[in-house]
Amino acid sequence: MTQLMLQSLLPVLIVAFGIVLSLLLIAWRRSQKLILIFTLIIFSVALLASFSLFVNLPNDVQVTTLVKVDSYGNFAFMIVLVASIAVSVLSSMWLTHTTEVHDEFFVLLQLVVLGAGILVISDHYASLFLGFELLSIALVGLVGYSRDSEFSVETSFKYLVLSACASSFMLLGIAFIYSYSGTLSFTAEQVMFDNMSDISILVRNHSYGDVLFYRVGFLLFMVGIAFKLSLAPFHLWTPDVYQGAPTPVTLLLATVSKIAIFIVLMKCWFSQAVFVETISSDVKMLFLMTIFAIASMLIGNALALKQQNIKRVLAYSSIAHMGYLLIVLIVISPQSVALAWQSALFYLSAYVLANISIFMTVQLTQYNHNNTEINIDDWQGIFWQNPSLALLIIVAILSLAGIPLTMGFIGKFYILNVAVQAQQWWLICALIIGSGIGLFYYLRIIFVLFNKASDVNEKNTTKELMPVSFTLTPAVNFSVIIIIAVSILLGIFPDLIGSLLVTAN
Amino acid sequence: MSITLVMCGLFFGGALAWFLEGVKAQSAKWVSLLTVLVISGYFAIALNSTEHDFSTLQVLVRVAWIPSFHIEYALALDYLSIVLVSLTLFLALICVLVSWQEINDKVGFYYFNLLASIAGIVGVFTAVDMFLFFFFWEVMLLPMTALIAIWGHENRHFAAIKFFIFTQVSSLIMLVAIIAMSTIHYQQVGQLSFLYQNWLSLDLPLSISQYLMLGFFIAFAVKLPSVPVHSWLPDAHTQAPTAGSVLLAGVLLKTGAYGLIRFVLQLFPQASLNFAPIAATLGVVSILYGAKMAFAQQDIKRLVAYSSISHMGFVMLALFSFNVIAYQGAVLTLVAHGLSSAALFALAGMIYSRIHSRDLNKMGGFWLNTPRMGGFALAFSAAAFGLPGLANFVAEFLSLVGAYQRYPLLTILAAFGLIGSAIYGMVLFQSVFHGKSQVKHQVKQPINDLSPRELLVFSSLLALLIFIGLYPNSILGFFQSDSIIIAVNNIVGVSK
Repeated sequence: MTQLMLQSLLPVLIVAFGIVLSLLLIAWRRSQKLILIFTLIIFSVALLASFSLFVNLPNDVQVTTLVKVDSYGNFAFMIVLVASIAVSVLSSMWLTHTTEVHDEFFVLLQLVVLGAGILVISDHYASLFLGFELLSIALVGLVGYSRDSEFSVETSFKYLVLSACASSFMLLGIAFIYSYSGTLSFTAEQVMFDNMSDISILVRNHSYGDVLFYRVGFLLFMVGIAFKLSLAPFHLWTPDVYQGAPTPVTLLLATVSKIAIFIVLMKCWFSQAVFVETISSDVKMLFLMTIFAIASMLIGNALALKQQNIKRVLAYSSIAHMGYLLIVLIVISPQSVALAWQSALFYLSAYVLANISIFMTVQLTQYNHNNTEINIDDWQGIFWQNPSLALLIIVAILSLAGIPLTMGFIGKFYILNVAVQAQQWWLICALIIGSGIGLFYYLRIIFVLFNKASDVNEKNTTKELMPVSFTLTPAVNFSVIIIIAVSILLGIFPDLIGSLLVTAN
Repeated sequence: MSITLVMCGLFFGGALAWFLEGVKAQSAKWVSLLTVLVISGYFAIALNSTEHDFSTLQVLVRVAWIPSFHIEYALALDYLSIVLVSLTLFLALICVLVSWQEINDKVGFYYFNLLASIAGIVGVFTAVDMFLFFFFWEVMLLPMTALIAIWGHENRHFAAIKFFIFTQVSSLIMLVAIIAMSTIHYQQVGQLSFLYQNWLSLDLPLSISQYLMLGFFIAFAVKLPSVPVHSWLPDAHTQAPTAGSVLLAGVLLKTGAYGLIRFVLQLFPQASLNFAPIAATLGVVSILYGAKMAFAQQDIKRLVAYSSISHMGFVMLALFSFNVIAYQGAVLTLVAHGLSSAALFALAGMIYSRIHSRDLNKMGGFWLNTPRMGGFALAFSAAAFGLPGLANFVAEFLSLVGAYQRYPLLTILAAFGLIGSAIYGMVLFQSVFHGKSQVKHQVKQPINDLSPRELLVFSSLLALLIFIGLYPNSILGFFQSDSIIIAVNNIVGVSK
């Protein structure tokens, strides 16, 4: 192992080492404040290491066959770390309610991040599975963390059982793929597929095994991935788990887990035969992905329409967003792969920022309501009482809806660019219809914020509404303003991130 | 001269108004009025002092904005944009004046939205980078939607959502077409570009360009609006506050027509020529359908809204007849309708502020108490049905004369729309000002006649309508040597 390899693994190593140190810290003194600060330091140092690596790393570094560090994965890990920092801060707000000391929470959180870190740099089905399981098992613990909440057991069991099923399907799929290609490494697979110029040769060439096994294998593999990304036919767990899990953990599910899985899916997908050249592209595989994407966009948006609970709305909207994101996988020429990567990473950054904003608001209002259920109507008239918080929600919602001035619009612009270059008109249609439906519930949330006191009295004479009159501490207010400023700045000058992504190989 | 300054001035003026209203009540409207006046003054002075020849598009600013996609911040002006920007600024003044006493709730934020929306509209009329155009196209919607959703009437949320979804979905289609154009530019030139001038030089095969043209056309037809995608308009107009309706009818609809002229006709001449019979038919259907529906309305604002659909049908018909006279008529219709419909919506707002109803059945006999308002109302409905001497007459006459040379049958049908407009115009006037008074408390509390502020609004609008009506060359003069005329001639040449 050379120094370069060590250096390129540094961010992940920092997190791994941090976990060991955290355990020692807990043994030494159980203090929630201490472990929070320690976790934040670990994440920040890892973020710094990642950033310096991103700037300095000239090209990909293959560290054993298991792991390949490239700048796309590195950038994704940076987003993961930013999201994790937000999660830790939100957790510290949430965990103050009880007298217990919650050291384990933060260790589990670090484990999730480690799993994500392994996923985004993995170059091998074995390391993929390792990261996948590390992420899932730690998440199960976190999802059911609040023992006294009424949904906790249901939620964590639902997640545990389904997640275990998904992993076993995925494992079977990996075995099938192996039976066809004879290798578990993405790079080796890519080399192999590159040498086969045409899919018809692929089918006839018996020395490689039956292509049917390969296709079935990939389908089963996708079952596992689609479960984690909550793509359409495998999305049923999402709203319940989002609703039942503690808010910071929901944010973790929505961001860290999805980014990491999506990045590894992209790495795996682009190394497969399915798209290599137009002639050899496997139409059946592309069709499969198209179905996943269209179904997710339409189902996610349609089911979100009638929801009252904000977390459930976000759950369904995340299904739709993963559907939009799948579009970048369907490129038909190798030249577009770079653009696909840029689009995915930009879109994910926008998505993460919007999710952080909304979950932060959910956590803040939840804290004031002393109540785990936050409905859309609970946000009535926030704008007139607390403009900065309302602005945070508005910018985040507009970003999710893909309206200009926000990052979400640029993300959608990137994705449309990929789709137009690949000439996927059906996907574009689905995207337009999906966004149209989506506007319906997004706008409803925004209009609720502007409701005046008089409207409330007109409509809800029977139901007593909780007043949303509260003040934020200066520190929270400051961070709210910072997030708003960053979202709008990146929405107007997207090249601050875009140019970074272009220079990434 | 700097358009950026105009937009920033409007935006920050609005922000200042919002801020100052918190410091001192009643200051927001003065700040907004002052902002619009100063900006309009600046625009007029700057326009006079430049030596650009605006008969062709003059690029004023070009700065790289998003280099990774070769997107630029590029603004340009020609006479078409100048006329429309001037109309926008004038109506901005009217909007501030009509909201003077109507808005009593969250006043600062209201004026901020109003001015931000106007800034966005100015951007739409001047942007020549297509990404920037799309950006402004969307940005002007947000404050407009807020105006409807917060200060609108009883059914405002529904109207606002409908308005937003219609425009958003159609503009996403346009975005796809824009991206496709830049991809084609990439294939032909080797570089992405969103600059309008670069696109003009592309060599588009007809098979592709007709789809792309359709992408743009749908977005602009929704905004115009044309049947069958008009249904957002009556709701949005009816539920919006007065200034919102004035802005919607006066300028926002014109962005659709502007898009048709600037982008659809010029970027895809051959495809538009092939599509023209369908578009012209849609225009005629809009004229007749709008007139018929306007006649059947009980709600004064809905009536005016449907009349807008009818009038915009003339624009569509005229634009797609590829004729210089018709083109001039279309541009003049934009201005004339902007003024007359703004006046009618202002009238509806003034009546609403007096009797708190928009229902025509509850009105009547206003003439007794409000002769001045009645006189103006008569003049404005006369303008709407095209009385000679007022701007609308010249505009519609030119449109029909031009269109007749290409579509005789359609134009004859369209001319029936004029009769329809006379009928609904008289229905409007009669049921409000003539007949028995329906207002019960009228004896105790007579309805006030126009206040000096309202008088100012009406007389300035009427003066402009009469001036343009008597001397249409004040506007048409700009469009004698326009680049579009060359384009029109080219197209007609192509077709022969």
